[in-house]
Amino acid sequence: MAAIAAQRIDDELWEIPRGTVEGMRVPARVFADRELLAALERDHSLEQLANVATLPGIVGCALAMPDIHQGYGFPVGGVAATGGEKGVVSPGGVGYDINCGVRLLALPLEFGELGAERRERLMDEMARRVPVGSGGRGGSDGLRGVKLERVLAHGPRALLDALGIGSEQELERTESGGCLSGADPSAVSPRARERGSGQLGTLGSGNHFLELQRVEGIYEPAAARAFGLREHQLTVLIHSGSRGLGHQVCTDFVKRMDAVLGRYGIRLPDRQLSCAPIASPEGRAYLAAMAAAANFAWANRAALAARVREAVGVVLGAEAARQTVQVYDVTHNVAKLERHGGREVCVHRKGATRAFPPGHPEIPAEFREVGQPVFIPGSMGTASFVLAGRPGSMERSFGTTCHGAGRRLSRTAVRKQLDGEELRRSLAQAGVSVRAGSSRGLAEEAPEAYKDVERVVEVVERAGLAARVARLRPVGVLKG
Amino acid sequence: VYRWVDHTAEVELEIEAGSSEAVLRESVQALGELLGARREAPPPAAERPGVVRHRLEVSAPDLPALLAAWLEELVFLAERDGFVARSVDELALDGCTVTARVAGVLGDPPPLVKAVTYHRLAFEPRERGYLGRVVLDV
Repeated sequence: MAAIAAQRIDDELWEIPRGTVEGMRVPARVFADRELLAALERDHSLEQLANVATLPGIVGCALAMPDIHQGYGFPVGGVAATGGEKGVVSPGGVGYDINCGVRLLALPLEFGELGAERRERLMDEMARRVPVGSGGRGGSDGLRGVKLERVLAHGPRALLDALGIGSEQELERTESGGCLSGADPSAVSPRARERGSGQLGTLGSGNHFLELQRVEGIYEPAAARAFGLREHQLTVLIHSGSRGLGHQVCTDFVKRMDAVLGRYGIRLPDRQLSCAPIASPEGRAYLAAMAAAANFAWANRAALAARVREAVGVVLGAEAARQTVQVYDVTHNVAKLERHGGREVCVHRKGATRAFPPGHPEIPAEFREVGQPVFIPGSMGTASFVLAGRPGSMERSFGTTCHGAGRRLSRTAVRKQLDGEELRRSLAQAGVSVRAGSSRGLAEEAPEAYKDVERVVEVVERAGLAARVARLRPVGVLKG
Repeated sequence: VYRWVDHTAEVELEIEAGSSEAVLRESVQALGELLGARREAPPPAAERPGVVRHRLEVSAPDLPALLAAWLEELVFLAERDGFVARSVDELALDGCTVTARVAGVLGDPPPLVKAVTYHRLAFEPRERGYLGRVVLDV
């Protein structure tokens, strides 16, 4: 099909009019500047976004954040709210890695106090304790005392109750308290359980990582103080999700909904957008299974954080481990029932982060004056950002902002440009200590593969969706 | 023959073969390559120690969904057991059901496929033979 053209609404917002793709029920809009938008013409992102606008019951516009890139079905960086009698839920609008997300830990030390030798030991110790890669090897170590059923139903609270992992403060500082209501373990298939059973406490592969960072700059001192962040401080960012369990839940329900599209009179331009009415048996079952997988993912990041804290204890001492605190934990692959514009809608965020503004009742009381914390990982060689939600997100994007830098180059293209060992050396020269199981995997996640994260966060800030609070610079990376 | 089509974030596999059965056979080779087997590596000999065989039966409502379900089975075995399928001993296709015996080795596959998507999914006759296409979430 011909390249899709977007029309300028303002400097940060562009629209694909209804009618551009057959069956569009609403327009599609993308937050971007001219340069980011121009890059989208090289892949199928905008076509995928226009396809999202065909979903029954879609409200307002199909939206994309400035880190949008081509995915499957939904583009990554896509947001869709659906509602009303015909409103559907689409598993592909959440993605396979249900509740893939990011957790930020703040250490009680400054970068200058760490020193080169202790940094290497800390990276070694984290690499030793955090299982990476494809399967679940090592995942269950130390976690056998908790039943999968309880993790699916209650998320990280199950780890706290059974094993003393985490704390009440950590649950409070997790989006949705780390537990989506309506989770039903019985909606999770035996195969999904089998895939997930040994994977609790594992990082995974692909773009998942664990990063040791220093706070390089503060943009909003009041918000930074509320989040417990100060310049030069050490932080650890954990990026992981629901592992094979979530992948299988999505697989099961894409198939199940694909089989009943005819029953609900739904026609779609892409089978991966398969969906069912929210109130249908299939829609309800998916939301129940997805919530259980989301709870599993929050428990996974809690278990990973516990392993990081153990590593801190070994290298920096028990008091440093005790004072390592969770700043917040956000999800960027989820569907949630929320109130927007006076009605309840199902907000699909696929590679997009909730960013509620100051005063929103769902933000923890300690952050309510400054807005919800949002974490935007950049890439190994660049920066990551801490943002805070702003009122524009409620007015323009169903309370949502971006989730990362967004891929720019395919894995093949980036491997042609450089190899993993060369990248490892150049990162070391730039002060980033890397631990990676696979040279190929490392190369695929090179900084060159990603868009300019600064440009992405500048767009969401100018659009009023979120504001920059702090900038984090990587000093050590453990790649999945 | 199979080839990898450029995709910004994921991996798109396209297979052209003389028959529908040959598409399924080729897909095993392709997935094996993605999981670390060398493309030119010979299939494991029956008598070689360490060769593992699995009998599979997979059904779906239509041919494209069958291609996805077939690969899902192999992805599951790779994740659960570290099984990397390298060749197909027997394969029979009856409508939208495939029964097969695949041979491979157990190992520690590199970062691998999370899921088999329905995006741009195709398995259909062409002027000469069959085309299979699938996007893998990696």
